[in-house]
Amino acid sequence: MKPPSFEYFAPTTLDEAVALLAQHGDEAKVLAGGQSLVPMLNLRLARPAALVDLNRVTGLDYVRAENGHVVIGALARQRAVERSADVAARQPLIAAAIRLIGHPAVRNRGTVVGSLAHADPAAELPAVAVALGAEMVVTGPNGERVVAADDFFVSYLTVDLAPGEVLKEARFPALPPRTGWSIVEVARRFGDFALAGAVATLTLDDQGAASDVRVALFGVADRPVRVPEAEQVLRGERPDDDRIAAAAEAARAALVDPPSDVHASAAYRRHVAGVLVGRALREARERAQASG
Amino acid sequence: MVQMATPRGKWIGARVKRVEDPRFLTGDARYVADLTLPRMVHAAFVRSPYGHARIKGIDASAALAAPGVIAVLTHADVASVPPLQDPIALDGLKKTPQTVLASDKVRFVGEPVAVVIAEDRYLAEDAAELVQVDYEPLPAVTDAEAAMAEGAPLLFEDLGSNVVYDQTYRFGDPDSAFQQADRTFKKRLHTNRFMASPMETRGCIGQYDRGLGELTFWSSTQMPHMLRLSLAGFLGIPEQKIRVITPEVGGGFGQKMTLYPEEVVVAFLARHLQRPVKWIEDRRENLMSATHAKEQIIELEAALTNDGTLLGLRATCIGDGGGYSFNTASALVEPQAAALMMPGLYRVANYEARVVAVVTNKTPVGAFRAVGWTAGHTARELFFDEIARELGMDPVEFRRKNMIHEDELPYTTCSGQVYDSGSYVKSLDLALQTVGYDELRARQAELRAQGRYLGIGISPYVEPTAWGSEIALQVGFPFPSHDNARVSIEPSGKVTVAVTTHSHGQGHETTLAQVAADILGVDLADVTVVFGDTAATPWGMGTYASRSAVIGGGAVTLAAQEVREKILKIAGRMLEADPADLVLADGKVSVQGSPDRSVTLAEVAVSSYFVNSVRAEGEDPTLTATRFYDPKATYSNGCIVVVAEVDPETGQVRLDRVVSVEDCGTVLNPMIVDGQIHGAVAQGIGGTLYEHLVYDDQGQLLTGTFMDYLLPTATEVPPIQVEHLETPSPVTVQGIKGMGEGGLMASPAAVAGAVLDALAPFTPKVEELPLSPERILRAIGTITD
Repeated sequence: MKPPSFEYFAPTTLDEAVALLAQHGDEAKVLAGGQSLVPMLNLRLARPAALVDLNRVTGLDYVRAENGHVVIGALARQRAVERSADVAARQPLIAAAIRLIGHPAVRNRGTVVGSLAHADPAAELPAVAVALGAEMVVTGPNGERVVAADDFFVSYLTVDLAPGEVLKEARFPALPPRTGWSIVEVARRFGDFALAGAVATLTLDDQGAASDVRVALFGVADRPVRVPEAEQVLRGERPDDDRIAAAAEAARAALVDPPSDVHASAAYRRHVAGVLVGRALREARERAQASG
Repeated sequence: MVQMATPRGKWIGARVKRVEDPRFLTGDARYVADLTLPRMVHAAFVRSPYGHARIKGIDASAALAAPGVIAVLTHADVASVPPLQDPIALDGLKKTPQTVLASDKVRFVGEPVAVVIAEDRYLAEDAAELVQVDYEPLPAVTDAEAAMAEGAPLLFEDLGSNVVYDQTYRFGDPDSAFQQADRTFKKRLHTNRFMASPMETRGCIGQYDRGLGELTFWSSTQMPHMLRLSLAGFLGIPEQKIRVITPEVGGGFGQKMTLYPEEVVVAFLARHLQRPVKWIEDRRENLMSATHAKEQIIELEAALTNDGTLLGLRATCIGDGGGYSFNTASALVEPQAAALMMPGLYRVANYEARVVAVVTNKTPVGAFRAVGWTAGHTARELFFDEIARELGMDPVEFRRKNMIHEDELPYTTCSGQVYDSGSYVKSLDLALQTVGYDELRARQAELRAQGRYLGIGISPYVEPTAWGSEIALQVGFPFPSHDNARVSIEPSGKVTVAVTTHSHGQGHETTLAQVAADILGVDLADVTVVFGDTAATPWGMGTYASRSAVIGGGAVTLAAQEVREKILKIAGRMLEADPADLVLADGKVSVQGSPDRSVTLAEVAVSSYFVNSVRAEGEDPTLTATRFYDPKATYSNGCIVVVAEVDPETGQVRLDRVVSVEDCGTVLNPMIVDGQIHGAVAQGIGGTLYEHLVYDDQGQLLTGTFMDYLLPTATEVPPIQVEHLETPSPVTVQGIKGMGEGGLMASPAAVAGAVLDALAPFTPKVEELPLSPERILRAIGTITD
C-alpha cells in the first residue's frame, strides 16, 4: 500500500495552483484534506502524475454568511464548518450532514469542498448541495464560472470540472423561514458511507401547507438525486402522515436501478430509501412546525 | 466485583495497572516495522489475482530492470525449501503441501507467487507490478458443500477430492436417543468467514551472519521457539544457530501462531542475498493472505422429551478450510474443535458428530480466538433458543434444565472433556440478575405494544483453557504442549522472570510479575518479565489457546517457589534460624515472632553469590530455578447476556448492553480479565453483525480493505459490564484457569440471540451470519425480491 511515484507541488496562491493544474491537465489531482484521495493513492486506485496540494494556499478556509448564503471555501475543514455559528444559525442541515461523516479525526482533515469535488454518490454533502440547490464556484485558466449543484454532479466520482479547473467554494442557500429540514441515513457502522440516505426540506405556508419541498437521495444511484416524484405529492398539500407515506412510496417507486454491492442489494436500497424519505419528511415537518 | 474464594498475597488478584502500558501509550514501544538495520532491503510479494489458476510461466525481466530492484525470486529459486504442511497426526487426514512460492498452481487470491526485493518498499511495489505471470484461469470453487460435490473443480488433483477429512464420531447411543425422543428438531447455520485483525499486521526481518553461520530473525509471532524450530527445518540452518526475536507484537489472536510462507521466504532471502531483508505486511495483504477464520456449515439435530429434556444431539460440522489445509492445525482447526465441544455445558449423554474438512479457493483458515468453538457454540445456542420457543419454554428455563449443575462437577462429557470445576448455574443466575432479566422481559412486552423490538440474548459457556497435553487431547488436537519459566534473583536482589509464554497484548509483564512478587515477597517494580527472544528464555511453545495464565503462571509459581526455598535456606544460615521459622515479605526475611532479626533480600542475594560461608560445600550460588509446567485440563465458564433493539423497517441493530459473568478460577488481575472480555466481546460483535470476508464465485475477495471489511469501532460497542466469580481449579497450580477466548466463543450467540429474540413476533429464519441489515429484513420477510 505505497503509492506509485508522482510529482508533488505545493503552490501558495490559487492562481499558481490553477496554472499547475492547467499545465498537467488530467494527469493532475488536487489534494485538500486527503481523506479519500490518499487511500486511493495507497491502494494504487488513483495514479496521478502530479499532486497539487492546496494546503499552503492562504485564505481558502473561510466559512461565512453572505447574501443569504453560507459560503464555504476550498480549505474549510468539515470540523470547522460543523462547529460554525453561521452554519448553525443559517443552514443547520450542513452541520447535521457533516456529523454523519466518519469520525472527528476524519472531519478534522476532510474538507466540505473536497467531499463535493470527490462526488462519492453515497456521501452526505453532495446530496445536501443538490437538495438545497447550492452553487459551485469553479475557477480555472479561463476564470470563474458558477455551476448549479444539480449540474455539477455528473456520475460516479465525476463532476463538471475540466482539466485545469478547481472547485474554489460552495454556496449553500440559507434556510428560509418556516422551513424544517432533515438528513437520515442507513450505514453499516456509524460514520460509514450510507447504504442509502435521504435529505428533506419542507417550507410551510400560513395554512400549514407545503409551499416548498425538496427531497434528495444518496447512495441509490451513480450521483445524488432530487426526487421530484416525491416532492410533487406534497407540494401545496398539508404534509400529514398519509401524504408523507405517499411521497415515500413515490420515492421508492421512482428509483430505477439502485446499486448492489456486498453490503446491500438494490432491493434493500430501494426499500430503505422509501423508509428514509418518510422519516426525513416527518422530521422536517416537525421542525417546520416548531419554527413557528 | 471479585468474590474472593481464597486468601492470597498482596499482588495476585490485585487490580494493578499494566506495567507495560506507558511505553505503548507514549509511542516508545518498538515493533518490527520500527527496526532498521544497516544495508537493509525490502520485500514485496507478487500475489495471485486468481482464485484458481495454473501458472504457465513467469517473466521477471521488466521487474528486474526497474529502479532499485535487487532481486526477484520465484518458485524455481526456492525449490530447495520443503513445502509447508500441518503436523497433525490423525488417521484419514490428507495433507496439502504448500510451496512457499506457488509452483504449478495458485489456489487462492493473495497466494504468494514471487517476491521482489528492492531498496525500499515503494520501489519493490512498483516492480512487483511489472512481474508478468502467465496464468491459465481454472474454474474455482468457493463454497464448501459445492467443493464436496461430485465433479467439483479439484484444488489438488492428486487427492482426487477436495475433502481432506470426513469422519463420524459416536458417543453414547445417539440412535436410541433419537428413537426414544418425543420430539426432534433441526437447524442449519452457515457461520461467516471473518478474521483476527491485529492492529499490527504480520512482518519480519531476517539477518544472516555468514561468518558465524547464524540467522537472526525478528518476527511478529506468538511462538518464537516454534518459529525457530520451523525455520531450522525449512532452511537447513542448525536450530541453535537461529535466534528469533519478537520486539513488540501488536496482537495475534491466533493469526500469528502459525508458520507463514512469507516468513520462510524472508529468512531464505536474508541468507541468499547476504543482506538484511524486511517485509512488513500491509492491511490489504493481511486481509487477503493472513489466515481467515470461523467459517463452517453446521447442521444440528436434537432429540428431546416433551418436558424439554435433551436426550441426544447430532452434529455435522463442515469446515471451509480455504486453499490449503493450513499448517496451524490443518483444516480441522474449525470443525474438529466445534464438534468435540458441541455438548458445551449441557448434559448430553448421546451424541454423534460428523467432522468434514474441505479445501476451497479462498484464503486458508487458521486459528482465531475460540477457534471452532465460536461457530459451534453459536449454532447450538441459537438452536436451543429456537427449541425453547417451539416448546413454549423460556430460553433460560430450557438451559437451566439441561445444564450441568455445580453438584455434578467434576463432570466427564460424552465426548471426553473432564470439566474440573465451575459455576455454571451460578454464572447464569448472576448474569440474569445483573441485567435485570424479569424487568427486561416486561419492558420488551411494553415496547412491542408500541411497535419497538427489544431482544435479550443469553449465552452460557464452558471454555477449554490451559492448553497443555491433556486438554489438547480432550478437545481433539493431540499434540504435547508445555512451557517453562526461569526465575532468578540477581545479586542486587532484583528479580528476572524469563518465560516462554509470549505476550502480544495480554499484559504478562504485569500478571506474571504479580505471581513472582507474591511468592518472593518483593515489590512489583522489582520484577522484570522477559520473553520474546529465544536467546533470553528457556525453550517453550508460546502463547495460544488461553494457556499463558495457567501455564506461564504455574511455571513461574513453581520456579519462584524453588528460588524461595533457596532464599530461606541462605537466610536461615545468616540469621541462625530454621528456614521453617522464617517469613519472606516486603523485601526482607525475618524470624517469625522476632521481626528485629531480619536480613534484606538484597543482603541474602549478595551473600549467596559472593559469600561462600553462607553456602554448603558445592551448593549453587545462583538464586535461579527453571521449571516446566504441563497442566491438567481445566475449564473456565461464564455467561454473556446482550440486550439489543432492532429497527424492523431498516434492519439496523442497536446494542444496548452487554453483561459478562466470568469465572476463570483464581484471578491474577481482574482489570486484565476485564480487558480480555472487552476485546473478545468487541470481536464477537464484529463477527456477528459486521465482519464478513465475502468472495465471488471466481474466488475474488470483495471485502479487501477496511472500507468494506467492517471492524466494529467505539460507536458499535456498547458498555460492557463484567462480573467476576472465582471458583479455583482443583487441578492447576494456584487454581488458575485461562480465559482469553470465552468472550468470542459466547458473545456472538448472545448478540444474534438478542436480535432474533427481538424479532420473535416475526418468526425470523436465519441460516447465515453475519446479521447485516439486509439479512435481517429478509429473515422477517420485509424484502423478498
